[in-house]
This record gives sequence, C-alpha cells and structure tokens, in this order.
Amino acid sequence: MKLTRRGFFKITGAAGAAATVSRAYAAKASPAPEDPFGCLVDLTRCIGCRKCEDACNRVNDLPPPARSFEDPTVLNRPRRPDEKAFTVVNRYFPGQRDASNQLVPTFVKIQCMHCQEPACASACIVGALTKKENGAVHYDVTRCIGCRYCMVACPFEIPAYEYHDPITPRVMKCTFCFERISEAGGLPGCAEICPTEAITFGRRKTLLAVAKKRIQDNPARYLQEIYGEKEVGGTSWMYITAVPFEKLGFIDVPDKPTPRLAETIQHSLFAYLWSPIVLYGLLGGIMWASRGNRPHPEDEEGDRR
Amino acid sequence: MTKPFSSGRALRFLIALMTVLVAAPAFAAGNPEADELALSPEWKAPNQEEARQRAQEVVPLIEAVVDECQLCRQQRLRDVGLGVKDIVHSYFLLESPIIKKREDHYGPVRFMHTKHAAAIQDCAICHHARPADPSAKETVRCSACHQEAFRTDHPERLGLKAAYHQQCIQCHRDKAKGPVDCAGCHPKNVPDHKELVKLGANPEPWDVTEECLRCHAAAGEDMLATAHWLWKGHSAYTLNQQKKVIHGKGTTAINNF
Ligand code: SF4
Ligand code: SF4
Ligand code: SF4
Repeated sequence: MKLTRRGFFKITGAAGAAATVSRAYAAKASPAPEDPFGCLVDLTRCIGCRKCEDACNRVNDLPPPARSFEDPTVLNRPRRPDEKAFTVVNRYFPGQRDASNQLVPTFVKIQCMHCQEPACASACIVGALTKKENGAVHYDVTRCIGCRYCMVACPFEIPAYEYHDPITPRVMKCTFCFERISEAGGLPGCAEICPTEAITFGRRKTLLAVAKKRIQDNPARYLQEIYGEKEVGGTSWMYITAVPFEKLGFIDVPDKPTPRLAETIQHSLFAYLWSPIVLYGLLGGIMWASRGNRPHPEDEEGDRR
Repeated sequence: MTKPFSSGRALRFLIALMTVLVAAPAFAAGNPEADELALSPEWKAPNQEEARQRAQEVVPLIEAVVDECQLCRQQRLRDVGLGVKDIVHSYFLLESPIIKKREDHYGPVRFMHTKHAAAIQDCAICHHARPADPSAKETVRCSACHQEAFRTDHPERLGLKAAYHQQCIQCHRDKAKGPVDCAGCHPKNVPDHKELVKLGANPEPWDVTEECLRCHAAAGEDMLATAHWLWKGHSAYTLNQQKKVIHGKGTTAINNF
C-alpha cells in the first residue's frame, strides 16, 4: 500500500483514537438533521456529459477550467474535486462490452457527500463547518483558521485548500448549493442541469424510497446496494449502480460515523497537552541519571596529574 | 527510431488529417441514411412556425396512468388499431417552456415524429403509458405526464428534460442508430469562421494548420498523444483496443514521416 500524507495522518489518528475512545463521546446525541435534502446519483443514467461540472462552476463563480467542459479528453485520466472544481466526473471501463465489442463506460460524479454526521465538522475546532438542517455541510470562511483538520478527517478526501492564495486562503468543497436549496423550489446547480436526471434531488427519506423502488423494479439493472445509506452513518448524497462500487473508485468506508474518531483525535490532542511536561521530565531524569557515568573533567585533570 | 517531435512534421501531419476529415462527409453523402441524419443547421421544416407554437403549449398534468406491462400496452394499441397512419403532427420542435424555465443553453431539437414512428413501428416504445381516465385520448404528448423534475407529489416520475434525453439516447444506443452526443440533436452555436480565420492570399497548407492551431492549440496537443500521431497503442475508442499495437511509426518503423 502506498502511504499518502493523508493516509499517514489517518493511521496516526486512529492509533491515538484507539487509545482514548471514551464512553462519553459514544453517548453524545447525533447532530444529524431529521429530514435533510439529499441527492441520489444513478450511475446507470449518467452519460458523462460533464454539464454538472459546468453548472457547478457557474453557480459557484469558480475560475474557468484549463480545458473546456465539452472536451471529452479530460475524461482520459481520473480526477479528484479540488479548490477550483467542487465536482468532477470520472470515466471507468469496468469490463462489460456492448454488441460491437466496445468497452462500455461508467461515469461517476464525485463531490462532498454531505455526511449526516460529518467528520470534517467534528474535526473543526472553531465550528467553521456545520451540518445544516437542510442537509448541507456548510463552510463559514469567517470562522476558519486554516488548520486543515477537516481535510485530514474527511473519509472521502474531499475538502481542498487554496494553497495558491497566501492572503485569504479558503477550504473549498461542494456547498450543496446551500443558498439555492434554502429557497423554496431551489435546486443544486448540478441537479438542475443534468439532462438525464442522473442526479435526483429531494428529501433524503424520499430518495431512499425512490432508490429502493428503482432497484426493486429493475433488479437486472441495479446492484442491491445504496452507497451512502449507511456509509459513515449515512450521507445526503447517495449512489446506485450496475457495477460494483469498488470498481468505480468508491472509497470503502465503515458504516459507523467517523466523527467520533476525528473528535477523539482533537480531544486527545488537547487532553495530552500535559505530555511535554512528562517528556521533558523524563529527559531531565535520564540526564540526571546518566550524569554520574560520564568521567568528570576535574577527575580527568586529576588523573593526568 | 522515433525522432523527437518537430513542429513542421506535426503541422504536415495535421494537414493530412484535416484533409481526411474534410473529405469524410463527402464519402458519407453517398449513403442515404447518413444524408437523413446530417440535417444542416439552416434546414427549416415547412411547418416550422406551427411546430414552434405547439411547443409553447403546456397541457394539464396527467396524475394517474394505467399500470400495465409493455407487452399489454402494445397489445392494447394494436387492438384499438392505432398506428403510423393516425399521426396528426409529423414534425415537432422540442422547446417546452417547462424546460426553458430552468435551463436554456441549447437550441430546440427537431423531432421527425412520422419518420421515427415509421422506422420503429411500435408506438408503445414512446407512448408507454395510457392515462387512467377512460375518456382521455389513448396516446398523449410527453409533456402531459413529464413536466417539472423532482416533484414531491410524484418523486418517481421523470421531468420532461430527462424523459426526452433518457428515451432518445437509450433508443439510439439500443438500435445503434441516431446521435447520442449533445450536438447531434441540438444545434450548436459555432461562431462563423469566415470572420475568425485570417489568412493571406495563396496560403501554404502549413499556414492553414498554423491558423487553426492559433485558437485550437489544445486540439493540436491532443493529436500528438493519439494513435494518429504516434501510430501505436491503445485507444479507448477503437475496436479491440485491448490488443496493443506494437509495430508502427512510433516504434519499429524507420520512416517516421
Ligand atoms: S464528505 Fe467529507 S467534507 Fe463532505 S461532509 Fe462528509 S466529511 Fe465533510
Ligand atoms: S451541489 Fe452545488 S456545489 Fe455541489 S456539486 Fe452540485 S452544483 Fe456544485
Ligand atoms: S450532468 Fe448528469 S449525465 Fe451529465 S455528467 Fe453530470 S451527472 Fe452525468
């Protein structure tokens, strides 16, 4: 396994967490809203047109892309959302072939999942990230201190940082079009433009029912799985598919929400503020103890005499 | 041996490629089917104005439809004797205010109703449900059932835009006929290149290529990474692409253009 920087933090975090998981956090009430909005992405419907990327760029006033949204060669290599693109569509060839022996592509749109119990929000020590009642995990730039704990905590590796901006860098991720969906009848930019309704917008509970009905009505077309129903305690964005998720770059995450893990990292960091005292005490002790072993300069002098 | 990239060679190659691309439609013209599909953007149906007006109508939503399988639906249409001969409007302009209210980035799609019906010979493929109201007409327009997307009262029902796209693209794929890309159906706003292209009198072929690359630099870069330039390998777009071609200008051949 290649160990990325992020992966390294996760491992060290997990080690710290394992040491200090406490009952108090497990008993804490879940911050998940009762009836949030969500989006259901039906991968069997996505045609890879990248109109969602285009719309997202427009509604969020993001910088123009290096290559046009109509340029299909962009799909030739997999991408991740970054500070200039909150959502990206990737193409996979999982192996099926059509009647003329051509590989059939599957397209996957990725963005922030808007977790029900977001790890990024729990990791944030100043409350810049919060799960809103309407489902959006919202970022407040005025509170952010730029510590980037959210980037380490997110199990989906979503938040990006404006490293190029030395004065006012921000953490950037899909906003779930918070302002737009807060208005009556408002839709996320991507869901509104999608030509095939590969993205269905609605209440999370309704979408779960829609997803289950689609799978039940067409068991040959879909796998019996909804990514995001239980993953990390449930997410506002969910996916259904014809191809196993692991072949489509989906990250294998536990069903339990990871916030507790992130929170424990935070709390243990602060809880262990006493640790330097112990460390220096220990070092001091060693020095003191080893003091007698070293020949004393005066003794040396005395020997020479 | 592969020689390092030289811009002169790239240009000459592009010219050759362009020649092929420009010539291709001429070959296709001999094929009547290709003729039908490649409607020029300027083409106007004789009943264009009437179609445009019809496209503006929004009919009341049909709340309930008869729940039946496709086979039963086909059977019923056959029983009532509905077919191509009964078509009232042979030409539609798909430009509903329901769609325009939300997004309006593309021009309307021209839909040849009779032509499609005659080719498919199965009305039930598109007219896949019957209104539950017994007094309603047997077949209704798409927008009678499919209107706004994501309605809370009908969460499972597709909006009009998605109904069009799913129906058209799926059928074009299944039958391996008809466009599946955006511009294949929607007229695209390509700026008039007469205004943009600046060439002196009697330009050499490479002058033309250079002029193309002035704006389409990325297209030129892309070409250098394709089998057209490298003459080897792997392209996701070619048949049996899983078999890598190891011989070619980019590898074993000496004459590398
Ligand atoms: S996907 Fe990551 S950034 Fe988005 S809400 Fe979940 S933890 Fe936060
Ligand atoms: S919900 Fe809004 S911000 Fe998020 S991907 Fe869609 S358009 Fe972009
Ligand atoms: S707009 Fe819809 S169909 Fe197009 S790439 Fe995005 S999700 Fe897929």
